[in-house]
Amino acid sequence: MMDSIVMLLLLSTLRLSLPLLFAVTGGYFSEKSGVAQIALEAYLLVGAFTAATFTYFTHSLAIGYLSAALVSALVGQIFCLLVLKLKANSVVIGTGLNLFAMGLIPIISKVIFNSTGSTPSLDIPESLSLAPYAVLAVTLLTAFWLSEKTNWGLQMKFAGEKKLALESVGVSPTRRQWQSLTVSAFITGLGGAVLSTALSSNYSPLMSSGRGFIALAALIFAGWNLPKSLLVCLFFGFCEALQIQLQSNATISTYIAAEFIQMIPYVATLLALLLTKSQHPPAELK
Amino acid sequence: MNAKLISPWVGLVFGLVLSCGLSFFFGESPVQVFKILTTSFFNSKFDLGLTLFYTTCLIFSGLAFALPMKAGLFHIGSEGQLIISALTAAYLGTAIAPFQHAASVAISVFVIVALTLLIGALSASVIALFKVYKQAHEVVVAIMMNFILAALATWATVNKLQSPTSQNPETALIGESFQFLKNDFLKTYFENSPVSVFLFVALLCCVLLYFIENRTLIGAQVRAFGQNPHAAERLGISPKKILFLSLSLAGVFSAFIGLTEVLGNTFQYKIGFSPQYGFLGIAVSLLAQQNFIGIIGSAFLMACLHKGASDLDLETEHMTRDFSRVLQAIIIFSVAASYYIFNRKRDKS
Repeated sequence: MMDSIVMLLLLSTLRLSLPLLFAVTGGYFSEKSGVAQIALEAYLLVGAFTAATFTYFTHSLAIGYLSAALVSALVGQIFCLLVLKLKANSVVIGTGLNLFAMGLIPIISKVIFNSTGSTPSLDIPESLSLAPYAVLAVTLLTAFWLSEKTNWGLQMKFAGEKKLALESVGVSPTRRQWQSLTVSAFITGLGGAVLSTALSSNYSPLMSSGRGFIALAALIFAGWNLPKSLLVCLFFGFCEALQIQLQSNATISTYIAAEFIQMIPYVATLLALLLTKSQHPPAELK
Repeated sequence: MNAKLISPWVGLVFGLVLSCGLSFFFGESPVQVFKILTTSFFNSKFDLGLTLFYTTCLIFSGLAFALPMKAGLFHIGSEGQLIISALTAAYLGTAIAPFQHAASVAISVFVIVALTLLIGALSASVIALFKVYKQAHEVVVAIMMNFILAALATWATVNKLQSPTSQNPETALIGESFQFLKNDFLKTYFENSPVSVFLFVALLCCVLLYFIENRTLIGAQVRAFGQNPHAAERLGISPKKILFLSLSLAGVFSAFIGLTEVLGNTFQYKIGFSPQYGFLGIAVSLLAQQNFIGIIGSAFLMACLHKGASDLDLETEHMTRDFSRVLQAIIIFSVAASYYIFNRKRDKS
């Protein structure tokens, strides 16, 4: 009995961490290149809606994932244009982009499905239930290769640490940031696709429910270190799994309210900021 | 004409045109949408009153963003602060039972207002605390605090303060004697719409801040710190003082939104009462270029558009009230972009 509960908890931890793992990898590319990223929430929502819509019409999960990433990267171009070309503040534009995604999706949904609520449910075959893990593995491996093993990755990090050094070797930091932000939106869009096609079987309004910010919290908690932040995401995913378990267990939920478990990622991040000696945000992060 | 002054307005017009043009893709007539957005605020006295209620809230949230901005801080924690302070006001309003005497009621109201504002100030100064002692970025702390405060408020409402007579997640109504704004002259004039005397409080705050900014030493210190923190510190201006002062005052303005809602509109705390005033304040403040008097105008303008967008539900087939968010976002984008475009031209000449 106990074993099965632990097993169930571990499995659902893995499942619920999925979108966070994508979003934190996306956030990593943006923040590491020196651009503060609070629009992860927008990319998740856009990705989730796009994946649900395209999968519904084409009956192909692969097209769903791909379209989610591409449309999210496309929306990311608004962010790039305003922040990099027109020198607007990334926090202001990030907030704006979140509002934009929250407002636009219901209207598009109304036009396509004649409802501002959930999209029609998808029937994804059982055999594809491991697909998100495969996509995650490929994404993570590519992300590691890109950021650790390539020249591009080094230059991307220099854009975030010391712009001048990059300029002095004839590489435009803005160009690296632009590319990095596009990668960021692309990967986070995949996380959105997982949200609507794997964690549930349709898009429902505001279904990202703060996961973009939880991913950002994980990144900061881990001191902008990708492997560590992935572990932190697993921990935050565990908290979410625990909360769902508690909700179905009436005796325990009288002792610990669900809201307090929801708070854990945020409180933990504040505690980490408070207790650890020094965080190392990228020097040019703004 | 000074390019810096007109740039946000050009941005606004461009944003409006772009948003209305967008409605073309949803099978609506842009002209029709524009007409609804810009005229529905004076359809009736009630509508105008509702718009003035939004104006009140947006002035406060605009101030909550603009004031820390003067000190060089991005304050996006207003949403959490206004939620927790609205809950505080609603809780105190049900918990305190004054005697049938005017003085007793007055003292109780004073206590409620003072404590609510204090909670707002305290929840905002957490951000200053992290900034001063841990050099943490204010945006990060504000985001975390928004979620923590919202979760706390939800927990308290559902588990401790739930109104027994209601199916919705909301607290009970505050005491009868605290609902005195029900008959306030503004409300009567505007046919019982949500507007209340807090509108004048908001206007007064703007004028007061304008005076403090331009005529007092502390105002000059905040501005100096915002322009160059290091130079200001060498001149003997304490960063600690500036950070705590500007952020806790911003918290007070966020708390005023809570009071406007609880003492002036619904007389209770409802989960999700705020259509994200805290974030809409960013657009208000950007449009006014952080000018405290200008915020009055830009808040009214944004309130008109917000009111107009909420009428799209009824007036059009495909557009919904969600369009308000799209509109605010596009206005944020185009105003932010216009700053660069206009300043670049000016630098060249």
